Amino acid sequence: MVLSFGSAVFGWGGAMNADRSMRLWSLAVEHAHGRPVTIEHVCAAVISAAGVDSAAVTVMLSATPRETIYTSDQVASDLEELTLTLGEGPCVDAFAGSPALVADLAAPDCLARWPVFAPAAAQAGVRAMFALPVQVGAIRLGVMCLYRVQPGDLDRGQLSDALVSADTACALLLDKAQRDPARGDGRWPEQSGPHHPEVHQATGMIIVQLGVTAAVALVRLRAYAYAHDRRLRDVAGDVVARRLRFAPDADGDQGRGCS
Amino acid sequence: MAETQLADVLVEMADTLVDEFDVIDFLHVLTERCVQLLGISAAGLLLTDQQDTLQVVAASSERTRLLELFQLQTDQGPCVDCFRTGQPVSVADLPAAGRWPRFTAAATEVGFAAVHALPMRLRSEVIGALNLFDTNPGALDEGKLRIGQALADVATIGLLQQRAIHRRDIVTEQLQTALNSRILIEQAKGVLAERHHLDVADAFALLRSGARSHNRRLSELAQAIVDGSEQMIPPGDATSRPS
Repeated sequence: MVLSFGSAVFGWGGAMNADRSMRLWSLAVEHAHGRPVTIEHVCAAVISAAGVDSAAVTVMLSATPRETIYTSDQVASDLEELTLTLGEGPCVDAFAGSPALVADLAAPDCLARWPVFAPAAAQAGVRAMFALPVQVGAIRLGVMCLYRVQPGDLDRGQLSDALVSADTACALLLDKAQRDPARGDGRWPEQSGPHHPEVHQATGMIIVQLGVTAAVALVRLRAYAYAHDRRLRDVAGDVVARRLRFAPDADGDQGRGCS
Repeated sequence: MAETQLADVLVEMADTLVDEFDVIDFLHVLTERCVQLLGISAAGLLLTDQQDTLQVVAASSERTRLLELFQLQTDQGPCVDCFRTGQPVSVADLPAAGRWPRFTAAATEVGFAAVHALPMRLRSEVIGALNLFDTNPGALDEGKLRIGQALADVATIGLLQQRAIHRRDIVTEQLQTALNSRILIEQAKGVLAERHHLDVADAFALLRSGARSHNRRLSELAQAIVDGSEQMIPPGDATSRPS
């Protein structure tokens, strides 16, 4: 593959972001010990980078019930179970689209906001938790939850690492939908942030071209870029410029060029 | 006269804030009013994504080349300098200033000669910048700079809504939400562009007029369009285009 770490994945968009993202990805690759990088390794990376104790990723597609796909330890499992049982808490709020960053679950405003969950979580030994949406615009895949025994905010760098990790998890989940087992080449999954609007415009266009959901449209776009060894935003640019259309056909993920 | 206009804009913005309001729509209107009040050619708002990168969230025009010019400032340009220092940056004659070669070349190509950037400040933090472009070279006078800064402050207030902002995490929550709304709107633009054979700038205009005429929040309508739970009929579509 042409694209390896730190290559031309980024042009004029977010050089500092790229550094952070690459650093976290390298950390996840280390944790994978030569195996394909999965959500587990992204969680291991964010636990050390953001200075938290536990992490969990829950997927909530509208078609399926809430499913916790990874928990790093028993505390994370217990807290996810608690969220599921009680139907409230920062993870539930984060699924509505905004991060829910809770420095102290025992603080009065938290107890007021989550009257059942907050005391139960504190009882389980968690004092701070940070719930981050795993999403791209209208595509809401789920939530990454970070738990810490000690109360307190994440500092700026830790928060950035956490947000980048949630985006990495999002990219991995999208790519996993297309290729299972997960990629084994250690290639960094290109993320879909706000800095390349053409990626999101192209997603919208593919929704109409294929008659699929936004999530499937983005999965197809990413798969096409991967299969043709091209940058996501370049392929997206072709779609927006109407040099490339996606047509529903046998293979499903093959966009057909039309000029 | 200018004062009456300014008062009208401030009243309009305050009215928007007390209604149930859409942050992207609010910021978009604010950039349009900047253009009118300050007599400039274009305005845009960039916010930090908390990974210290500036991202465009609203612009007075959705022309692709203009958006690209705003977005180019993720790593160099007056907005980056303004964001890093927290101070206004004003360049009356861009080519003569000889700064930011890549940005200057791109701005000149689009036809802009003067550029200004005003910080969006929240106490000691800078959360973004208001970026103003003019096709004519020249400085903004003191009065206009103050109006511009007032509008940048209104944008900050609007973004953070009426909530008591005393913790950075709430700022992050709001910024992240605004940035994701922007992505959502791009997705909806794509759907409309493809379905109605429009370019993406016209797709935005269609989305916005739809939200206005049905008194809907922009991001809510965008979500419904991306989900496919709602469709839009562009004016004149039935007669001017084959289906």
